[in-house]
Formats: sequence, C-alpha cells, structure tokens
Amino acid sequence: MKFRDLVRTAVSNLFRHKARTALTTVGVVVGILTIVTMVSLGIGVQHEMRAAFDTVGLESLRIYPVAEDTSAFDLFGQRQRTKLLTPELAQQLQAREGVLTVVPYLNLPTSMRVILHLDGHETAVTTRSSRPSSPGEPFDVPPRAVAGVEEPPPGGGGIVLSLDLLASLGYAREEVGDLIGREVELVLHAPRGDSQAFDFTIAGIVDQMWGSLTLSVPDRLRLLEWWYNDPDYLARRGYDELFVRTRSLNDATQMLDWLSAEGYEVESLKMMLDLASRGWIIVETMLGSVGGLALLVASIGIANTMIMAVYERTREIGILKAVGAAPGQIRSLFVLEAAFIGLLGGIAGTILGWLLGKGLNWLILEIFRWQEVPMQGTFFVVSWWLVAGALVFAALVGLLAGLYPAARAARLVPLDALRYE
Amino acid sequence: MTTHGRAAIRAVQLTRTFTLGETEIHALRGIDLQVAVGEFVALVGPSGSGKSTFLNLVGGLDRPTSGELWVDGVELSASKERALTEHRRQRVGFVFQSFNLLPLLTALENVALPLMFVGVSERERLARARSLLEQVGLADRVAHRPTQLSGGEQQRVAIARALVGRPSIILADEPTGNIDTATGSEIMALLRRLNQEQRVTLLVVTHDLEAAGFANRVVRLRDGQIEAGA
Repeated sequence: MKFRDLVRTAVSNLFRHKARTALTTVGVVVGILTIVTMVSLGIGVQHEMRAAFDTVGLESLRIYPVAEDTSAFDLFGQRQRTKLLTPELAQQLQAREGVLTVVPYLNLPTSMRVILHLDGHETAVTTRSSRPSSPGEPFDVPPRAVAGVEEPPPGGGGIVLSLDLLASLGYAREEVGDLIGREVELVLHAPRGDSQAFDFTIAGIVDQMWGSLTLSVPDRLRLLEWWYNDPDYLARRGYDELFVRTRSLNDATQMLDWLSAEGYEVESLKMMLDLASRGWIIVETMLGSVGGLALLVASIGIANTMIMAVYERTREIGILKAVGAAPGQIRSLFVLEAAFIGLLGGIAGTILGWLLGKGLNWLILEIFRWQEVPMQGTFFVVSWWLVAGALVFAALVGLLAGLYPAARAARLVPLDALRYE
Repeated sequence: MTTHGRAAIRAVQLTRTFTLGETEIHALRGIDLQVAVGEFVALVGPSGSGKSTFLNLVGGLDRPTSGELWVDGVELSASKERALTEHRRQRVGFVFQSFNLLPLLTALENVALPLMFVGVSERERLARARSLLEQVGLADRVAHRPTQLSGGEQQRVAIARALVGRPSIILADEPTGNIDTATGSEIMALLRRLNQEQRVTLLVVTHDLEAAGFANRVVRLRDGQIEAGA
C-alpha cells in the first residue's frame, strides 16, 4: 500500500467525524499550548537576559567590599567593612593587564532627605544610581536625553533631572531645554537637625529613570561626607562598588580568581547570567510539566476515541480484510489516524501558544507602562525548533496513544468482523 | 503452503467444528469435493448445512479443523495469516449477500479498493475499476455512493470489486439474498456471463433453487455432508 494512499485514507477517516476529532484534539491543544507558551517564555527571557548582559558586557565584574558579621556596626549604624574598595585599589586594578575601565560607585542612604530648589519651586527627590558604563539592571531601559547629557559630568558639579520631576514642578516638555545650565540647589536635612545646601548646574534632562535625579560620584561623596559628618568618609568606608570592564571573558575570569583570592566579594556577570539561566530552566521545566500532564490526559482521550472507532468500524475492518488488507496495513491506518489527531492538536496548540505569548507580552509591557517601570523586551519567543519540536511531540503522543487500539483492529478475525452488527 | 494438481478447488475429508461453550457444532463432516477450473458450481442446502462454512474456508476467511483444502493448487489448511491474506488478494474474490460496500466511497472507489492494498497506483486502479463497472453495466453510476444505488446495482458493484484483482475464483455467498427475484436473475445471468467470458471459476452458495439453476453443477449439502452432486 502506497504511503500516500495510507495518509489520504487516514485523513479522510478522521474527517468522517469532524466534531469528535475536534473534541479529541482539545486535550492536545491545551497541552501543546501550555508547553509552547512556557518554553517560549523561557527562550524570550533568556534571550533578553543575554542581550542585556551583553550590553553591560559579560567580560565585566562587580566588586563589593567585605563586611563583618551583622552584629558589628559603627557609629553611623553601618556595618563595619574589613575589605575596602579604596581609590588606590581602583588605580591598581586599572593598571592591570586586560582591564579597560574601572568605575567606582557610591550609594546614598535611603534615609537621606533631599529637597530640590529650582526657580522658587521645591520638592523632595530620590536619587538614581549612576553607572556611566552600564545601563543598570537587565531589562532596564537606558535613559535618553531630552536635553543636555544623559549622565552627569564625572568631575562633578552637574546634575541630571528626570522629565517627570520637572513635570511635577510645572515645567512642560517644550520648556525643559531652557533649563540646561540653570542653577539648582539640593538641600539635605539631617536627622540631627541641621541642613546643608549644595549647588549644582543642570547638565541634562532625561525621559525616564529610576528616581528623580542623577549625581556624579564626586558629588555623592560630598553629600555623604556632610551627611555622616566625616571628611574621611572614603578612606573609612571606601566605595560601595567597583565596576570593572575587561578586554575579554578570559581576562574577566582571571581577574575574578585574583580578586576572590584577595578576599573581595566579586560578581561576574557571566556567573549571574549562568545562575539566572539555570534558575529559569528549572522554572520552565516545572511549568512545562503542567503541559506534559495535560498531554498525558489527552493521550488517554485519543486512545479512547480510537478504541471507539475500532468498535464502530469492526464490520468495515472485516470488509477490508476480506478484500485483501493485511493486519499490518490495518494497524498502520489506525496508528496514523491517531498520530494525525495529535498533529492537528499540535498545530492548533502551537498557533494558540504563539498568540497567547504575544498577548501576554503586550499585557506585561502595558503593566510596566502603567506602573512606570522603565523596562522593555520581548519575553515570549517562539523559535522554529520549538515549533518543530512541538509538532513532532504532539504527533508522537498521538501515535503512542493509537498503538493499542490499532493492535486490536489488526487482530480482528475477518469472519467475526463481517458478522458484527 | 504446498502445491498439488490443477483442480480449482479440491477438498479432502474436510471438517470444521465450532465450539460454543460446552457444545460442539460440526458444520462440515468430512467433505470431499472437486471443482474444475472455469466451472460454475452452486452449493445448495437448508440453513445450517455448512455451505457458507465451506465457502469461507475456500476463501481463506476461516481455517478447517481437519482435512485438506487445495485452492488453485495451494493447500490452505495449515496456512498462517499472512498466507491467507495473500490468498484473499490474489486467488479469490468475494461477493456477499449484504454487498458489504463501504458507504462513504463511490462505486468506483469501492471497486478500486482491493488494488490499494497491493500497491497499485491510483491512476491504474481507477482505470481498471472503471472498465469493470462498464462490464457490469454501471458505466454511468461510477460516482454514486452505495446509498444512491439500488440493491441490484450494489451487487453489480460488489461483483466488479470481486473481479478487480483478477482472481481465478469468485466466491458468492447468497448473492441474490437481499434483492428481488427479477434482479436476482439478472445478477445470476451476469455471473454466468462473466464465468463464460473470463473463464473464472465460480462457487455460489444459495438456498434459491432458481438461482442455482444458472450453474453448471449443483452440489447439495445437508448437515455438513454432501448429499448429491459431488
């Protein structure tokens, strides 16, 4: 029997009972839809993570100071640091083979109360981290300058404000360009009762950012020295982070080994990415298992449908055997019908999974926009191998489910089958 | 399988016993019968005489309990399923009382169906089917489904289907059982014509003596044994 005849006969038999075939495929549709959606989420997120980390640079490292155990605090309520990130260390790192840049970073305490004064307006503000060489966290949207520069000048004295902050002060978007070069005052109010004003020049205005404004590292140091009443703040505490960009992944690995041996706390972005990827795979597998469970149930449905088909077509099977159909051909016919049920469900499930991913992606981005979270990305990616894999898997589920009913059909005695009413 | 002689059908002490619970039913009790190549034989007898059982054994739809059965020179009694499938494909064609056509296929597709299982191309099998439908007088009904055909027309389609594989033997089990007398005579006349024109051996089981009259020889069975005509 030619394969084409086998396929055509199987397909035509399936469409005899369109409603039953459609209902039987529902289980497969749900299972494949779940698997495709979950796996596409994993692909998308990993793709976005890799892209974001690539932008930062996988050959980058983050170095943190080492603190003592949690019971040791100093006069200012901060944990004692045993390994500091000093300016000397930064210079030492910069001089090492394979190092491109070393950028320091300072946190401002969340308890710091800062009031911005501009043209008679005043408002409380929060500050954004300033990592000139990095866009920040993965999925973060780098701020875009509406006027002036995106990052404050590294030497200090300049400040970058967000559009939202200026809008809250009553400035329209068209007016903000005129603010570049304008003087602005930040007034710190310490819990001890005193306050201090710091003057800055507006260097840039950006469309979105975490927080209201950005300051350079030297300016942050000025604020911290006053806040903690400690002119030797840097010598006592060092930097909060050093962001090191190396020439290659190999250089980053070597640097990581050396710094770890020196006792520093180091994060390699590749390590973070690998860790995150591993975590995602676990989550993906768990979620995909839900789809697998649905497919298991669907396979029982397919087997049931095919067993019913064998009962209903007993006499027909007898006729086919009487006119020369071999048991193996009968078996192949039923197995193929079951495989096609799986395949049909796989096609529908893949399409619906793709659509669901598109819809969920849109919803997520809308929620980000509503929550004013500056994140973008495509979190659901259906690759060609996912499509192929889903279809093959669905057909395989159908095929396996059809084995038992097909064996029953093949074993029917022609004479008994012909007499079946 | 083993080969023997040139008789189309040769049964030697053929028996077939069925077991129903604790009861044994002796459908055939030592049948000795020969049917020559090209002969038209009618098997007659009351219900339960074993005539359909004999036909099913000759057609490879059943296996004998004991004895020898040679069909077209091939001994069937010890044949395995694969050999019986080949036997049904190559040597025999069936015509059933209830026609046994597939309702969702057209007349043309029903006739062509046996050739699909032996790998004949679609073009060739439809061409052969069309030719046979012309021979049985249904050239203008090829696209009709069985529900759109009369009983006599359906039986003609069944006869065409039985012939499509070019078998040496046609086995017909009560071919006029489900149709009216006049149509039944037409069917028997058609079978006789095909027997004479194509030299195909014909074994017809019937309880209708008028239908049996079309045959060259009538073999009468009773209680699983040949009463007359062996």
